[in-house]
Amino acid sequence: MREFITGNEAVAYAVKLCRTPLIAAYPITPQTGIYEKLSEWEASGEIKGIMMRTESEHSAMASCISASLTGVRTFTATSSQGLALMHEMLHFAAGCRVPVVMANVNRLLAAPWGFWADQLDSLSQRDTGWIQFYCENGQEALDTVIQSYRIAEQVYLPAMVCLEAFFVSHFMEPIDIPEQEEVDLFLPPFDLPHKFDIERPGFFVPVVPSELYRKYKHMAQASMDSVKEVSLRVDQEFKKMFGRGYGIIEPIMLEDAEVVIVTAGSITSTARITIKRLREGGKKVGLLKIRLFRPFPVEAIQETLKGKRKIAVIDRNISLGGGGIFCQELRAGMVHSSDHPLIYSYIAGVGGTDVTPEVIEKIVFDATRRNEPSDPPIWVME
Amino acid sequence: MKVYAESPELMIPISFESTEVIETGKWGFQKPYTTSMIAPCEEACPAGIPIATFIYLAGEGKFREALETILKENPFPGVCGRVCFHPCESVCNRNQYDEAVSVNPLERYVFDTTMDLSPKLNPAPNTDPKEIAIVGAGPAGLSCAYFLALLGHKVTLFEARKEPGGVLRWGIPEFRLPKQVLKKEIQRILGLGIELKTGVRVGKDLSIEALSQFDAVFLSPGASRGILLGIEDENLIKIWRGIDFLNRINSGEQVRPGKVVVVIGGGNTAMDVARSARRLGSSVTVAYRRTKKEMPAISDEIEEADQEGVRFEFLIQPVKIKLLKNRKIRIKFQRMRLRKSSQEKRPRPIPIKGSFVMMEADRLITAVGEGVDLSWIPQALIEKEFLKPMSSLWNGKTKVFAGGDAIEQHRSVVTAISSGKRAAISIDLSFTEMNPEEVFSNIRVGSKGALSMEAYLRGRQTGIWEEPKGVVFYDQINTLFFAPSERVKKRRIDPGKSLRGFSEVHSGLLPEEAEHSALRCFSCGTCNYCYNCYFFCPEGAVTLDPVNQIRTVDFQHCKGCGTCAKACPRNVVEMRREE
Repeated sequence: MREFITGNEAVAYAVKLCRTPLIAAYPITPQTGIYEKLSEWEASGEIKGIMMRTESEHSAMASCISASLTGVRTFTATSSQGLALMHEMLHFAAGCRVPVVMANVNRLLAAPWGFWADQLDSLSQRDTGWIQFYCENGQEALDTVIQSYRIAEQVYLPAMVCLEAFFVSHFMEPIDIPEQEEVDLFLPPFDLPHKFDIERPGFFVPVVPSELYRKYKHMAQASMDSVKEVSLRVDQEFKKMFGRGYGIIEPIMLEDAEVVIVTAGSITSTARITIKRLREGGKKVGLLKIRLFRPFPVEAIQETLKGKRKIAVIDRNISLGGGGIFCQELRAGMVHSSDHPLIYSYIAGVGGTDVTPEVIEKIVFDATRRNEPSDPPIWVME
Repeated sequence: MKVYAESPELMIPISFESTEVIETGKWGFQKPYTTSMIAPCEEACPAGIPIATFIYLAGEGKFREALETILKENPFPGVCGRVCFHPCESVCNRNQYDEAVSVNPLERYVFDTTMDLSPKLNPAPNTDPKEIAIVGAGPAGLSCAYFLALLGHKVTLFEARKEPGGVLRWGIPEFRLPKQVLKKEIQRILGLGIELKTGVRVGKDLSIEALSQFDAVFLSPGASRGILLGIEDENLIKIWRGIDFLNRINSGEQVRPGKVVVVIGGGNTAMDVARSARRLGSSVTVAYRRTKKEMPAISDEIEEADQEGVRFEFLIQPVKIKLLKNRKIRIKFQRMRLRKSSQEKRPRPIPIKGSFVMMEADRLITAVGEGVDLSWIPQALIEKEFLKPMSSLWNGKTKVFAGGDAIEQHRSVVTAISSGKRAAISIDLSFTEMNPEEVFSNIRVGSKGALSMEAYLRGRQTGIWEEPKGVVFYDQINTLFFAPSERVKKRRIDPGKSLRGFSEVHSGLLPEEAEHSALRCFSCGTCNYCYNCYFFCPEGAVTLDPVNQIRTVDFQHCKGCGTCAKACPRNVVEMRREE
């Protein structure tokens, strides 16, 4: 079925198709579209289950964790301030090893107040132990939600699907909605090995001695590492069944590229057109899309960028005093590659500003022109 | 997967031990204690009724238990539920929130709904019962007899009239206190094995000296003599005394006061007289020398008299009476004004020189107070001022006590009951070595004079005298847990209809009104098992057992956080530091 819908609605469709019996959420722009659609379906009886209207995002996540520990699939959606309020519970979800899936519509963090696209909200949560995917468009958001359940339920870690405010959440596109039977086949009912057992009551996650804490963290790290491989496999299976695949990263026209642009999220679509145009003009330029951010696919990136000389990372976020976060991660990941390239950091699109083909061209030319990258990031204005 | 399912602790830490092994109770430095306290209403009630407890029981629909609770401290719930001036309601903490709880109507409701039941009264075992004579079977005498019987003594009650009840039987009109109510209460009291001798006027039919065969004597003769106005021609046939008028009606006599009646006085007797005369077809004017504000009658009664068409003339005082040729009487009144005085509670009426007013009437009824006839009591006893509260005097081996209207105290039914209780305890104590003052201080209900018979019985039985409890003030009530709600309005028969006879004016509460009224009670200082402490305790350390009325805290796990004390709406939980 092909529908002309927004990215938010696409996410809602995915949640419905995954037969999620517990949704706990609190409305916040620009995520509200997801919440509204699911509420409509709950009212009409199209989705079976409980939609909890919690008093805060913190409670929404606490509810998802608890429900998940009873062995059911759960979902929540949020944005920016809501995600920040959840912070404590995000750590708790990972520590409880529950496969909660959340859609985060990337919105700037106040202050100043605003609603526009910016990836700092979810990137600030990179150390909470959540799997993170960044989606380019509504179709990918829909597909990634379905994949995320499959992945999370194998590794027992929560997963966050990120899509940018308005550029993805509110843009309407023709989107393929998978058939229910197919999704049911792809995503079988799941069982949590450590779910609550009334027959054997226990106290979950009590105080533990230092060594035990270390042991559980160590085990979680191993599970998180396996996500790179698991998500690749899940993506391949998905492609086999639905005809669409994304990989954990996507290399585009990299063969002889002298400059490689790195993007995540919706800027990728613009970059695809730009490099195509530059290639037609004889410029040897390529593109690398990062889809999986946590765990950071270091090995895949190293392999893909082998032999490349100049890498220009575009960040729609700014970690004050640090720089663009994708660039930080990439620089750190490339340190031990055999002939590591020059990595340029560009800040563009912060606060929802438009990243046009011209902006991307500017970045390509700037990186070509400069012999050495600067440590501080370069802010690109229109 | 299989390994995880068998040992879920491999995924996350799970403790299958109970957390009870962690003695969180050791962390704190204070612990919550259940401290029942006195509600202001209980302190203000001269009979010291455990009001919060009986209202809690009534709210639970346990009317028998509610009745038995009242009967521990007051043998007259049916009477007091109708005629009490209910000081409890004016001090009710709820007054400061919205409106007072309907304590008085609830007391009546408890009595009315249990009319057919026989409550369990448990006289205390007494290995050395004494024989006690009581003179006068009014509210004070009957109460004294009741409490002495509960203390296991043998009581003989001498009553001059042909029936017991005193002012309740011969004074208060039927429309305020139906005779069947009184009968029921007296039956219950006498059922304790009290010997009643009616038609025996001590001092005439039986000499007071003859009472010396008893171990103790209680005198409660009552105030049965109308006080004189102290003016010329007062003994004209056209002038009646209010108390005699009421007595004649209550004796079943056909009384015709006449077409136009003037009543003099401003107390409850004056109101009863005026309202009775209205029922006998008279047009009635009440003349009072002060203003409405200073009238000693219960305000409800003044209002009801007004509704029943009684006219009021204030600031006049009779000075001269003349019998006219047409058989009417003319009363000359002096006009008065009020002068405030810092020494006296009420302003003093002062004559306005040369200002008079005349009134003509078929009948003048005076109700300016009643006196006690003490002529039959040996002068020696009176001179030694035995007719004072709590006094006792040794007459050879017989101890003599007095109460009711014969002692100097506020004159009302409930204060008479209170004096009967105090005398019963005094008499019981006089056979022991105990210091009455000390005991009274231990069994007091607050500091307004009320005594607790329950506390006395407990102390007497166990020998342990608990510290008297403190009173809960409004600022100790957590009003966050209450919603404003209206007090049920008193319902009465239409005044036009009520004037056709002497049937009771007020109808009691309806069941739903009684429930609503009971649930409005803050239950100051008395646990009513609202479960706030149970729900708010973060440790789950509180256990409540409403059936056996037990509240316990598991001190091994109570951290002493004090949440229960804060969450208690009625100040029943007190945090105490551990030493």
